[in-house]
Amino acid sequence: MKKFILLITISIIISAAFSACSPSIAAVSAEISIMDSLEKQITLDQPAAKIVTLSPPITEMLYAIDAGDQVIARDSFSDYPEAALSLPDIGGGFAEYDLETIISLEPDLVIAGGINTVELVQSLEDLGLTVYYLANPFDLEGTFASIEALGILSGHEDQAKELVDGLRSRVDAVSTILENVEDKPTVYYELDATDVAKPYTPGPNTFYTSLIGMAGGENIGEKLEFEWAQISLEQLLVEDPDLILLGDAMWGVTPESVAERAGWGSLTAVTNGIVLPFDDNLIARIGPRQVDGLEALAKIFHPDLFK
Amino acid sequence: MHKLTRPTLLSFAALAIAVLLSVGVGSVAIPPKETLEVLWNTLQGTAPTSDINHTYQIILLTLRLPRTILMIMTGAALAGSGCAYQGLFQNPLADPYLIGAASGAGLGAIISLTLGWPASPFSYLAVPMTAFISALLTVFLVFQLAKVKKTLPVTNLILAGVAVSSFVTALTSFLLINASGELRRAVVWLLGGSTMAGWKPVLGQLPYVLVGLIGLSAYAYKLNVLQFGDEQALQLGINVNRARTRIVVFATLSTAAAVAFTGVIGFVGLIIPHILRRVTGGDMRRLLPFSMIGGAIFLVLADVVARVIVAPQELPVGIITSLCGAPFFLFILRRSKEKDW
Amino acid sequence: MQLRVSIDQAGYDQSATIRNIHFTLQEGQLLAVIGPNGSGKTTLIRAISQVLPYDEGQYHINGTNLKEASENSRAQLMAVVPQSTYVPPSFLVREVVLMGRTPYMNWNGKSSRVDEKFVQEAMEQTDVKKFEDQLCGELSAGERQRVILARALAQNTPVLLMDEPTSHLDLRYQIEFLELTRTLGINNGKTVLVAMHDLNLAARFGDLFLAMKNGSTDAFGSAQDVLLPEKLSEIYDLAVRVIKLPDGGSTVVIPQ
Repeated sequence: MKKFILLITISIIISAAFSACSPSIAAVSAEISIMDSLEKQITLDQPAAKIVTLSPPITEMLYAIDAGDQVIARDSFSDYPEAALSLPDIGGGFAEYDLETIISLEPDLVIAGGINTVELVQSLEDLGLTVYYLANPFDLEGTFASIEALGILSGHEDQAKELVDGLRSRVDAVSTILENVEDKPTVYYELDATDVAKPYTPGPNTFYTSLIGMAGGENIGEKLEFEWAQISLEQLLVEDPDLILLGDAMWGVTPESVAERAGWGSLTAVTNGIVLPFDDNLIARIGPRQVDGLEALAKIFHPDLFK
Repeated sequence: MHKLTRPTLLSFAALAIAVLLSVGVGSVAIPPKETLEVLWNTLQGTAPTSDINHTYQIILLTLRLPRTILMIMTGAALAGSGCAYQGLFQNPLADPYLIGAASGAGLGAIISLTLGWPASPFSYLAVPMTAFISALLTVFLVFQLAKVKKTLPVTNLILAGVAVSSFVTALTSFLLINASGELRRAVVWLLGGSTMAGWKPVLGQLPYVLVGLIGLSAYAYKLNVLQFGDEQALQLGINVNRARTRIVVFATLSTAAAVAFTGVIGFVGLIIPHILRRVTGGDMRRLLPFSMIGGAIFLVLADVVARVIVAPQELPVGIITSLCGAPFFLFILRRSKEKDW
Repeated sequence: MQLRVSIDQAGYDQSATIRNIHFTLQEGQLLAVIGPNGSGKTTLIRAISQVLPYDEGQYHINGTNLKEASENSRAQLMAVVPQSTYVPPSFLVREVVLMGRTPYMNWNGKSSRVDEKFVQEAMEQTDVKKFEDQLCGELSAGERQRVILARALAQNTPVLLMDEPTSHLDLRYQIEFLELTRTLGINNGKTVLVAMHDLNLAARFGDLFLAMKNGSTDAFGSAQDVLLPEKLSEIYDLAVRVIKLPDGGSTVVIPQ
């Protein structure tokens, strides 16, 4: 017994000693100084000219603010815009990131997103790189803040502001039109139906719920417990949503295949034929396309109000 | 007499080759000459000359070299512990995870990952430390369950180990289901491989692996005698309970430290001692150190394969070692069938 | 050395397997413990060698209380030859015999010249020297048994406890080994306790006899006291005849 307590004490002491050995960040007055989501102060002498992105939304947003030329490498899942595909792929996805290539490219800034782990950020910093960690936002205001942060880092503040202003006015336009609308269709948004008796749908506190709400609809998944929630077919039948959106259309799911699923035929949305494929990236991918997504949703929910 | 001079020389040579391969191979092609020069300078303790590309130096010294050493330590720890357990439980199929170190570490890691510590620059330490402590606590629990008054019967250890591991694994799976956001991180950890780059994991593992392996080596002879069963070992003058307890402690320390930093890497602890027994015979004073080197070589090479096979992506090294497990068992099966003919 | 055994009860748990066994063996004596299977012979040997979980006996070797001695001191006082002939297959014969020297060697089993001497002698005495570099897995049951015997001899203890040590041996080796044991008793003063199945061998080599039935002493003493047809028939549940051969020496026990 004693031995174990001793061992545990020793481990705690040693790990505490470790934590103390981390490099301190010197406070230097520089051109750019901005705090990231890990509450680290990132300082750059000048806007980053050689950026490596580790997550698709980051890549997308940088291109959207005209900073695409400054991106020298991206992760394997960064597929938008098309120009990004020709950049060197430094891994990620389901396997490890290729740290060696990242280092050899000598970037002056690495930008990590919500899907990246703290370990990765730490590892890159241990290798001498500057890493800005941009956590995933939960609403459009968060997306706008992300765009603005990236604008500061890349020296495209003006373009970022312009983009954000434009996006905001489009959002406002949508909400104005929907101001007095009472009738909100109920929506089932499908993320994954590998198990057709218990498919995955977005829950509360997700972009899906907020955008669907802002577009004048109601996500039935909002009542569930988790963000990445499973809904049983029975529950779905009880809710009987007005509309079904297939976020998994990009994986090959079609309205016809939905109709063929056992038990799904009795859903109102299926019998009325309102099962629609939907480009999931318009909601899931943090960035300007989310406003496209908002507008698309609004058009689907209230076709009479949005031409 | 098993002449061991040749195998000894061979194993050191193999280790050197494995190290060179591991340091020389990666997604960035570094000219071998420069690799050797940097290595040579490091061994001598001098700073590399400035005409060697700075990036190469970083890659070699802060990525590849520490990773290689991490694999050496993990391989040695797993194979050494596996060897000790094969002796302790008198079962050639025993592995270092038998009494709960891996399942415990897994639970600790998943708890740490799903608790979502406020993401701070230090939270990366939380996972390995929690995994380590959790592994120790799990084995401690198994220990307490298996104890009968002052004795520690082997059967009880195995039974308690299986029971606790099953429960802990179930708990871990449950947490995984609810992990959603951290799922990928958790799965990668469970598949085995180095999630942390640089020297930190090496330094974190070092004290425990060192203490554990040195401790095990000190008990090598007693492990020999223990193979005859508790009764005979007692009659030959060995304090069986004390020896068994200490062997479990040392093996657990090294295994827990290994798993905490490199995830659950399977088959190393099982295959290596099993194979090497043919070369060294059953004497633990030889089998144990050979297993440690053998484990180191195997894991370093498996890691090279993991880094190269789907370049530029990198597979978790646990997948490679598991892939080696299947043919190994088939081979054993074949030999066993031949014997019965 | 003198071995004094006094057991009220002992066994694997509270329901004691053996009870009421009291005897003293003097230096150089060979006690043959006889009795049917399940009579407690093995349990008795376990009790004396201090490996029984539940033990309310008292054991002394030349006054040293075995219960208070360390494992190491006990191992220098008595060596045990178990009934099982299992030897982990991947050890060499020589390595196994050397393990008999464990109580005298250091933590790493480093052997001195003295240790080697005892090992060589033991291997010659049991005729296993010719296998010394072979793996135990390649030996027959009888050969393995001789290796274990050698190990016990190498341990060089004043007291030897043996549990059916000749069960797998050819008659030649049985006789040779028991003769060796008796010689060691006479020349080296070894006190020996042998649990035996074969009544004739027991009769031939025993100085004293302990007949056990159902876990306790049925009879203890010399051949005249114990090797009596009524006693033996009762113990073994079989009518036997005890015949003293005309050449004056041997006693033979045969069924009716």
